[in-house]
Amino acid sequence: MRVLVIDPDPARAALVAEGLAGGDPVEVRHALAYDEAEARRFEPDVVVIAADSPDRDTLESLREASLANPRPVVMFVDRSEPGLAEEAIRAGVAAYVVDGLAAGRVRAVLEVAMTRFQLMHQLRQDLARAKADLASRKTVERAKALLMKERGLDEDAAYKLLRKLSMDTGRNLGAVAADLLAFAGVLKGDQP
Amino acid sequence: MSGRDVLRLGFVPLVDSVALMAAQELGLFQAEGVRVELVREVSWATVRDKIAVGALDGAHMLAPLAIAATLGIGSDPAPMIAPVVLNLTGPSITLSGRVSAAMRDEPSAAALADLVRRRREEGSSPLTFASVYPYSVHTYLLRGWLAAAGIDPDRDVRLTVAPPSRMAELLDGGVVEGFCAGEPWNRVAVSAGSGRIVARAADLRERTPDKVFGVTRDWAADNPDALLALVRAIHAAADWLAAPDHRDAAAEMLSAPHYIGVDADLIEPGLDEMVQQHGAATAPDPADAIWLVGEMLRCGQAPAGTNAEAVAAEVFRRDLYEAALPPSA
Repeated sequence: MRVLVIDPDPARAALVAEGLAGGDPVEVRHALAYDEAEARRFEPDVVVIAADSPDRDTLESLREASLANPRPVVMFVDRSEPGLAEEAIRAGVAAYVVDGLAAGRVRAVLEVAMTRFQLMHQLRQDLARAKADLASRKTVERAKALLMKERGLDEDAAYKLLRKLSMDTGRNLGAVAADLLAFAGVLKGDQP
Repeated sequence: MSGRDVLRLGFVPLVDSVALMAAQELGLFQAEGVRVELVREVSWATVRDKIAVGALDGAHMLAPLAIAATLGIGSDPAPMIAPVVLNLTGPSITLSGRVSAAMRDEPSAAALADLVRRRREEGSSPLTFASVYPYSVHTYLLRGWLAAAGIDPDRDVRLTVAPPSRMAELLDGGVVEGFCAGEPWNRVAVSAGSGRIVARAADLRERTPDKVFGVTRDWAADNPDALLALVRAIHAAADWLAAPDHRDAAAEMLSAPHYIGVDADLIEPGLDEMVQQHGAATAPDPADAIWLVGEMLRCGQAPAGTNAEAVAAEVFRRDLYEAALPPSA
């Protein structure tokens, strides 16, 4: 079985391709965009495509042109398993299948793709959170330095003051530190 | 309510989605008591699927897509309704510089027909033209424009589908020699030096039922108040746009990266054309849907025997529009 993965996100495409390559005898290729000539050479049995790829509409038109096209594609919907197509759409994956391919084999491919999409989503979220944490730590450091300089506090006392502000206002330390820096900027005339 | 505090409405980056952005930016949804999040989508297939499964509450959509989904053409049946129309001015047709230069006369459908004939005599491969989706006025207008000049859209040329935002690049790469798409994508292709506009929206058809605001029939039944609020907000946005003084601000609004992300100068002309021709017309007219079903029958998309009147009444819901905006006595 040959699987073509179309995804404008190259890291995610690679992750899906890697997941598929381990299973059922599968030949996998991935591309950022759908190229008809390339697809014709590869002759995929299944095209797994990201819901955020604009090429979905091109694939849908191939089904329309099925008279002229020797390899018509159909969107994969397995009626024996309600909810699968819905789950796939929510995960951000769609699959187009050459007519006649066994449903079980397609389902296995789609499930791997869905799992990998979710994994990628999780990784991206974790990365964003880690970046935000780091930015917030840097802000706290700068606010601490400002308090030490302006109020003549030592590091420990400056940190305690920030903590107290945070608890008094019920907002996190990073936000309080950012406010403090912004206000200091205004007072110094950095900003209007 | 839909079980969500904030309604998620999808749009595809095109000038004719402007009523949604204007309603959001001007607080018109809020004034009607609904909170809305606008979600940018890049394909009509994804818009259809997300609405069908409830991942979106409603969306800017091609009118024929609402009809196709209702009839189960090209997807599982997912009955959709259009309680309000977003635009009646259709897409334009742009040809590549290459093809324009190869014509003996000023680029036009007739000059293209002459070129197609010459190429056939020479044994050259047929030229490729793109529309934006199989079920779209773009497909029907492009086929009609070719056919009127004596070009058989099924035999003399190759028709394909491509995303509008990629049309300029496809012209440059020689993948397609012409396309039919909404604005700002014709002007984007012209300003990139990739092509020239040969037929503008109004030349193709005076009144073109292009985009509607659509929801599933089930969503409409479950959320009657929210639906009418959305219709009123969208109509109010269309009214605001009808004033020429507001066009600058609207173009500026659309140019934001999270909406269309194209220079306001390239957006404004399309916006002007869209509004000047039909003003703030937003009422769904079943006659428009009947015409669309006729086109779908003509190119073999809808099964023979489809009852156009019945489908039109089912999808183009004038009654809901009038429930939201009672006609003044």
